[in-house]
Amino acid sequence: MNHSEATPSRRAFLSSSGAGFAGLALSAILQQDSLGSSSGWLPPDGRPHFASKAKSVIWMFMNGGVSHMESFDPKPMLTKYGGKMITDTPYADVFSPKKLKIERVAAPIATRASTLFPMQDGFRKYGESGIEVCNNFPRIGANVDKLAIVRSMWTTDSNHGAQTQFHSGRHFVDGQFPTLGAWIHYGLGTLNDNLPQFISIGTRPYWNIRDGLYLGQTHDAVPLRIDPKSPLDYAAPEKEFAADARTIGIDLSRKLNAIKEDRYPADKSLAARIASYELAYRMQMSVPEVIDFSKETEATKKLYGLDDPNARDFGSQLLASRRFVERGVRFIQIQHGGGGAGAWDAHFHLRPAMVTLGSWVDKPIAGLLEDLEARGMLDETLVVFATEFGRTPGSQNGDGRDHHIFGFTVWMAGGGLKRGVVHGATDEIGFQAVENPHYVTDIHATILRQMGLEPRKLDVPGRKRLEIDYGKAIEEIIA
Amino acid sequence: MILVFDDKGNYIGDKSNVLSATFACEERQPAASAFDAAPTHHPGRDDRMNRRDAAGYEAEATGGARPFVHSLAAWRRSLRPAARWRRVFTASVALAVLFSLEAIASAESIDYEKQVKPVFAARCKACHGVLKQEGGLRLDTGALARKGGDSGQVIKPKDSAGSLLTVRITAQDPAERMPQEGEPLTAEQVAVIRQWIDEGANSPADEKTDRDPREHWSFRPIVRPAVPQIANKGWVRNPIDAFIAANHEHHELTPQGEATRSELVRRLYLDLIGLPPTPEQLQEASSDPKDDWYERLTDRLLESPQHGERWARHWMDIWRYSDWWGLGAEMRNSAPHIWHWRDWIVDAINSNMPYSEMIRMMLAADELYPNDLEKLRATGYLARNYFLFNRNLWMEETVEHVGKGLLGLTMNCAKCHDHKFDPIKQADFYRMRAFFEPYFVRLDVLPKQPDVSQDAVPCAFDGKPEEPTYLYVRGQEANPDKSKVITPGVPELFAFKELTIKPVTLPVQSYEPERRPWVFEAYLTTAKDSLARAEKAVADAGHKHEAAAKKLEDVVKSAPTDDKARIAAETAVADASAELHASTVDLEAARFEMDSVNKRAAAMRVLWVKEDGEKDNAKLAEAETSLAEEALRLERRAAVAKGLRAVTDLELRLRKADANAKPALDAELKAARDALSKAEQAAAVPAKDAHYTPLVGAKPSPIRFHDDFKDDPPLPFSKQSTGRRTALADWMVDKRNPLTARVAANHLWNRHMGTPLAANTFDMGRNSPPPTNPELLDWLAAELIDSGWDMKHMHRLIVSSATYRMSSDDKGHEANVAKDPDNVFWWRRNTIRLEAEVIRDSMLSLAGTLDPTRGGPPVPTDKEADSLRRSLYFFHSNNERNLFLTTFDGPMVTECYRREQSVVPQQALAMTNSRMVLEAAKPIAGKILASLKARASTVDDATFIGSAFVELLGNPPNAAELQASEQALAEWRKLPKASGDDAQSYFVWSLLNDNDFVTLR
Repeated sequence: MNHSEATPSRRAFLSSSGAGFAGLALSAILQQDSLGSSSGWLPPDGRPHFASKAKSVIWMFMNGGVSHMESFDPKPMLTKYGGKMITDTPYADVFSPKKLKIERVAAPIATRASTLFPMQDGFRKYGESGIEVCNNFPRIGANVDKLAIVRSMWTTDSNHGAQTQFHSGRHFVDGQFPTLGAWIHYGLGTLNDNLPQFISIGTRPYWNIRDGLYLGQTHDAVPLRIDPKSPLDYAAPEKEFAADARTIGIDLSRKLNAIKEDRYPADKSLAARIASYELAYRMQMSVPEVIDFSKETEATKKLYGLDDPNARDFGSQLLASRRFVERGVRFIQIQHGGGGAGAWDAHFHLRPAMVTLGSWVDKPIAGLLEDLEARGMLDETLVVFATEFGRTPGSQNGDGRDHHIFGFTVWMAGGGLKRGVVHGATDEIGFQAVENPHYVTDIHATILRQMGLEPRKLDVPGRKRLEIDYGKAIEEIIA
Repeated sequence: MILVFDDKGNYIGDKSNVLSATFACEERQPAASAFDAAPTHHPGRDDRMNRRDAAGYEAEATGGARPFVHSLAAWRRSLRPAARWRRVFTASVALAVLFSLEAIASAESIDYEKQVKPVFAARCKACHGVLKQEGGLRLDTGALARKGGDSGQVIKPKDSAGSLLTVRITAQDPAERMPQEGEPLTAEQVAVIRQWIDEGANSPADEKTDRDPREHWSFRPIVRPAVPQIANKGWVRNPIDAFIAANHEHHELTPQGEATRSELVRRLYLDLIGLPPTPEQLQEASSDPKDDWYERLTDRLLESPQHGERWARHWMDIWRYSDWWGLGAEMRNSAPHIWHWRDWIVDAINSNMPYSEMIRMMLAADELYPNDLEKLRATGYLARNYFLFNRNLWMEETVEHVGKGLLGLTMNCAKCHDHKFDPIKQADFYRMRAFFEPYFVRLDVLPKQPDVSQDAVPCAFDGKPEEPTYLYVRGQEANPDKSKVITPGVPELFAFKELTIKPVTLPVQSYEPERRPWVFEAYLTTAKDSLARAEKAVADAGHKHEAAAKKLEDVVKSAPTDDKARIAAETAVADASAELHASTVDLEAARFEMDSVNKRAAAMRVLWVKEDGEKDNAKLAEAETSLAEEALRLERRAAVAKGLRAVTDLELRLRKADANAKPALDAELKAARDALSKAEQAAAVPAKDAHYTPLVGAKPSPIRFHDDFKDDPPLPFSKQSTGRRTALADWMVDKRNPLTARVAANHLWNRHMGTPLAANTFDMGRNSPPPTNPELLDWLAAELIDSGWDMKHMHRLIVSSATYRMSSDDKGHEANVAKDPDNVFWWRRNTIRLEAEVIRDSMLSLAGTLDPTRGGPPVPTDKEADSLRRSLYFFHSNNERNLFLTTFDGPMVTECYRREQSVVPQQALAMTNSRMVLEAAKPIAGKILASLKARASTVDDATFIGSAFVELLGNPPNAAELQASEQALAEWRKLPKASGDDAQSYFVWSLLNDNDFVTLR
């Protein structure tokens, strides 16, 4: 038998399929695991496990911990009892050790803030749903009928390791585990051969730098900057290199690798390397175009707040995200306010901080929702607004709030979720999630469901996952 | 819905999946039932846990396993009085069971394999299985279950009510109920078993009993297998090949021929020293006419100090080397100056220290060589696990990775429950922990550097020799079983000898490290040096002042009316004067410091003489008191002088500062003045109420286990070390230990060959795939032991095998490809995607720019871009990793038992665009050209191309490659000259982007 017929070369495959990688998960193409064929286990083939509702995710993560009482979870009783010790109010039982037991302390935490701190800003009702949103987010408020708000989140790490936890589902002391974006990247095939399928934008703190972990670095997000000159690491030559000379060189290494393929027809890593170079070249060509907004209308740019110095940074990231989604990128993970503990970490001066933060994100987020809707993309794009934890009903340092894991809010929009709904609730002072409480992996499970993935089917041999890792999809908010 | 967590705070979910989560670590339990619906933190549950464990220990202590007796009454009679207290009854639980029994009845008949056997396996077999037969009962097959135990049948087919098994699993009294460990069986499980019995307790006739774990390949004693007799004798170079050839012959595979000489030369260089040959070295090895060229080259490379640098990195992966990390400047993990351990590894490999000795030193050098800093460096292996905040996590990591890295055992799986696959009981996890329980980390003063923040050796030491180890119920730190202190020990299956733990009496220089001769020397030298510097500064300032005064004199003389010049000159004089004053104050501080160090040293020496035997010598006592007072006085004077120096310095800076900087400096000055006044106040306290600060020879690393933002009190250095880690190390490297040598041999094979013999390098237990060639692995392990754990011997053996020397090519071997496409039986060599460090180091080495400096502190992250040091020396921690190296799968510090060999687009971008690659191309081309020109007057394109191919890729080009290359060179030459590099450099850049540059064929 002619060997080269039995094993079509990478080139032949790429040219015959036209779309190259299309439909296949990167893991399936680049998988080199020694367990491989002999164990009978195969990596995901890139097809969803059932019909998907969403194709892409825009994951906006607010680093530092958004105060739920100054954003999406109004608590009038907080104002009523403001200044009182919680133990002197009808809510004294929030401190029962049993309820506080979920906390897993790995590094010191401050003493619990116990004097109630009134709501620092007003709320008003928006839209047909009449859901209340804080005055710091008027434009998001105007879009409230698109949102599915979950007001009953909880987590277990009272420190900013909870950022990792929100991405991976595990407390950082358990070790390092793949993040949601990595699972999706691992499970689903690509929609565009020219772009990385998993992109990370914004500063990530050290404890949250990697995604693939035991799934492999292949599934790490590709860090991207909204800088046309240097959007990716090593995106352009770091030393002057004449373009024509470079073209000749690239052509030559292409040719040489192709000749090598004839020399080593069964060398799988050679095939993968050729494919990886092709993707790299295409990424280099395609990415700058995506973050070049010159073809966007002024109206669109304005919609994202690009004309507003406060909103421009985040607006550019979100506009780029829409453009990536348009081109078929699966998962865009944006860290807002990253660096240090995070901009949302309002231990002091909470009120002015929230006003400022609102001016940074309100317009861009509203712009994204409106733009996606106008383009008919919102149904297939899941927009997530998340944060590692909420903030204490009690005051800290006189004018701030401390970290709070027992109840907080995140919301999602689009991607086949219900619109204009509130799910779950904290108690009257925003302390405990009391109605339909959800751990962070329930958000993961909901997103995976909408993306057509069954998390248990993604298990990797030898990597045991706990029940808690899978979470449960929040059926009540799925349309 | 009821929100449920386990006691560790893990969310378990809503009430419907409680049990499955509790045990989910290894195996998911069968579906939950009505009974499971009780929230996990039901108080009764924890009570039961405690009682159960207490019961277990008691049974163990008295050596009595309760027999499985016929009836409840008989069992009650057999109950020892001491155990009666345990018969506390949790009514609700039992009622729930009884109640649900009737509720769950199935119309379909029971499938033994699917429904019964898994329950026995998960819940019963630990005590009633192949390893252990409590009461003589085994439940690993249906037939054995029907056979019964010491007290007869436990199953009466078709009569579940009359079957003892049913009675025991539904017993209300927790002391009677089976299983004794863990939760009771669920109502559904009980119902299934009852129905199975009622249907006749049938099971397949051909059901096999479980295999005895003692028979598991890696748990058996290592016996050197006979070298197989094979037909293809001509191919065999050493016994390794006989084992490989036996498989070839069995599977009808034809071994691939030998690689080309240039491939072999590149292979040996990269494998043994991590650097490619220079053109001259390549030339020399390629033209060596002697038959033993390969062996001589191997020897030469193994003797090269670069061999240690290359192989150290392999072992650093496995031993989890990490520089320190934390939050900002707060050190939370690993240890500062841990690079001393890295240098020790390099040195140990280069001096061919036996692997057994390496393990002993890493685990226990502080007990074996308590005064030898060179050897103490080895305990960085333990120091690396340091974690500022939480002792439990520190200990868990230690046990986990001693298990995985040195023993190939997943001890960590037994943290919460008995291991599901291997003969490791939950208590074994804590027994292993007990070896490490006493150890902490300290920084030992090195010659010439008394300040441990600048440099010191991180060492392990038994800081809490009396610290008890408790078993944590279900692995929960908050739930220690304090009824029994766990003593150090190894899993029973591996207890081939009585473990004797002898406390080690330490030399005084170990627990009073300030007595080490170099310690005072370091303080004195440092003080002397700063004194010399201060003296020089005063002299310099004096000269400057003189010059300024002279200048002023000149100005006044030459231009008496030039006010501007005069004022400038006067200012210069004033500045110089202030500087002179400051340096004089500084000199005074340095003198006092010098005197203070001298005096403290003297006082401490006298103290030692007193302590060491002349306790009653009144004269000595008197001398000591007077020296101590003098030392204190000088120390205080030094402190005041230092305070004054700080104030003076700030005053000087304030004078020169612009308005913007002034407020900050003002604040600093205020603080300095406060400090000075404090020092002055302290100096006024009567000497009898104070004591000088002793000079220290080691400093314990801070710990903060109490969540109160404060360091815990520093740990004292004890006169005795427990000897536990020495005992563990000796057990580990005992010839009879079946694991240690197998694990090491497998790592050696993997790092040479790119694929291990046993696929799971950190888990050789029963849940891992067996090795592809177990006899070969055993033979290698035996060879490792019998050679005296000689690593270089093993390297030599492996690289000299015909197996190693094969070509990785598969062309022309279609029959082999069809039979063994994954090359499981080694009919060819596997290609290896080179390690990140090798890729970077190769480029620098080929360019001739590699900085060969060995050892020392790591290159800090912000200096790496410009550094030409070997990659091994880059700062490498959980938080800080070099981007280029990470792109090529540089190791994770948390765990890297095997290197990933990924192929991703980011690697292509790094190779095409990074400054390092772009800058390397030109000098690489230059080196190749220079080498060619040394041998021939003219160098044509074909020659250059051929040489570059061999040099960078390991093989000469074929005709097509040559033609494509020549064509490209011609095209580059057509370009306008302006565009920088020459055609040859461009060409080298293309070759650096060839698959084979990052591949070892």
